[in-house]
Amino acid sequence: MRSLDIGATGMLAQQMNVDVISNNISNMTTTGYKRQRAAFQDLIYQNIDRPGSTSSDAGTTVPSGLQLGLGGRTGAVYRMHGQGALRVTENPMDLAITGEGFFQITLPSGDTAYTRDGTFQVNENGEMVTVQGYTVNPGVTIPQDALSIDINESGEVLVTLPGQTATSNLGQLQLANFVNPTGLEAIGDNLFLETDASGAATTGNPNENEFGAIRQGALEQSNVNVVEEITELISAQRAYEMNSNVITTSDEMMQTASNLR
Amino acid sequence: MENSIYLGLSRQTVLRTNMDMIANNIANMNTPGYRSQHMLFEEYISKPKGYDDPLSFVWNKGQYQNTKEGPLTQTGNPLDIALAGPGFFGVQGPDGETVYSRAGNLQIGSDGTLRNSADFAIAGQGGGAIVIPANSTEVKIDKNGFVSNQDGQLGQIMVVEFENLQALDPMGNTLYKSSIDGQPAQNTVVQQGMVEGSNVNGVVEMTAMIKTLRSHQSTQNILRTENERLRGAIRSLTGRN
Repeated sequence: MRSLDIGATGMLAQQMNVDVISNNISNMTTTGYKRQRAAFQDLIYQNIDRPGSTSSDAGTTVPSGLQLGLGGRTGAVYRMHGQGALRVTENPMDLAITGEGFFQITLPSGDTAYTRDGTFQVNENGEMVTVQGYTVNPGVTIPQDALSIDINESGEVLVTLPGQTATSNLGQLQLANFVNPTGLEAIGDNLFLETDASGAATTGNPNENEFGAIRQGALEQSNVNVVEEITELISAQRAYEMNSNVITTSDEMMQTASNLR
Repeated sequence: MENSIYLGLSRQTVLRTNMDMIANNIANMNTPGYRSQHMLFEEYISKPKGYDDPLSFVWNKGQYQNTKEGPLTQTGNPLDIALAGPGFFGVQGPDGETVYSRAGNLQIGSDGTLRNSADFAIAGQGGGAIVIPANSTEVKIDKNGFVSNQDGQLGQIMVVEFENLQALDPMGNTLYKSSIDGQPAQNTVVQQGMVEGSNVNGVVEMTAMIKTLRSHQSTQNILRTENERLRGAIRSLTGRN
């Protein structure tokens, strides 16, 4: 009975669907989180009667044939990089991107990671760092005696120093963007790595060309829509149940056959 | 003399294949653009020598697809497209030939081409793939399948219609092969930000499954009764108990 295995492929696919949905729901309030979606595909088909095969001496052909599909599978789990809502925090070191682009973070290994999470802080050397203490690239060092920090839409970091009326420009934050952000590899801690699928990063100043603007004192919330996730969860659970019913029924059919004598 | 057993057997064989088909439909309940498949049964009459009445066996002659449109789900993702109407969009298949699909959850490949979820490039009208440049801030897909970004048009997705939808041959990954080229779409429009779900109806499949199971069981009863009748006949004719 193929239906036993087919039911199992369906259950496996739905199980992964629930995994993806639960990860989305658990990251509902994660800053800069982008929701994921499982994409399903049907498996290969087995030809019992080929469509178009001859059905009589007169040359008539079978119009549709008989092809048995062998179930479904999760083809891909991909990320939807839609904009999340902004939450105003009034903290001068909280940055949000409105539009395309990622902040560049230097990992302890020296590699560059990318993030939409702009919860930055200043470390003991005055450098801008993430919650994990990784430095933001290109680095900006904020003097200890700075009275106020202003980061404008174009990513310029301006500080007021004691005894000066004019602000001084400390540097420029840059954003990175990808042809296919969906292809980025997530490594946890809201960080992503560049892959062959994402294409190489192109960097640029915020608020120029395709890059989004920076908002100081705000954070980008996750783009998870709870209502959508819950409805997906309901449909995944029902699909899971129906697939398990298929297995029970196939089992009963086999049992009937074995009770023949 | 064993004809009734063979008749029952022919019924059980097709019921099992039917069950496989139902299982495949249920396994693809959430597969975008999937179309449910159903079996066609036919009476197969054979008239052996020495019998007045012909025997009617059952065989699974073929299958048909349910061509009803699946439910459209609003996703808001600019790379999701759904087709409203009978058409299919073209996909560049594994061997470079054009195959067809309705699963509109598209992605952008590493080379910037528009691809489906199984990483096959979407075919443009008049051949070639559709390339989305890296500096695109928005992707718009209009009702006729024209893809454009902020700088202008990038190409048109091939949307075709078929006279006989049953002639489409499923090949997995929600792709369909066709030996006849499709005609340019007349009655199909492309909707951006939506995905067509599977048109499998859970209730229908569940009832079909119960029906298959019960038919299988009742046929089994016929076989058992026939088996006992034969055994009884042999016993009483040979005079043994």
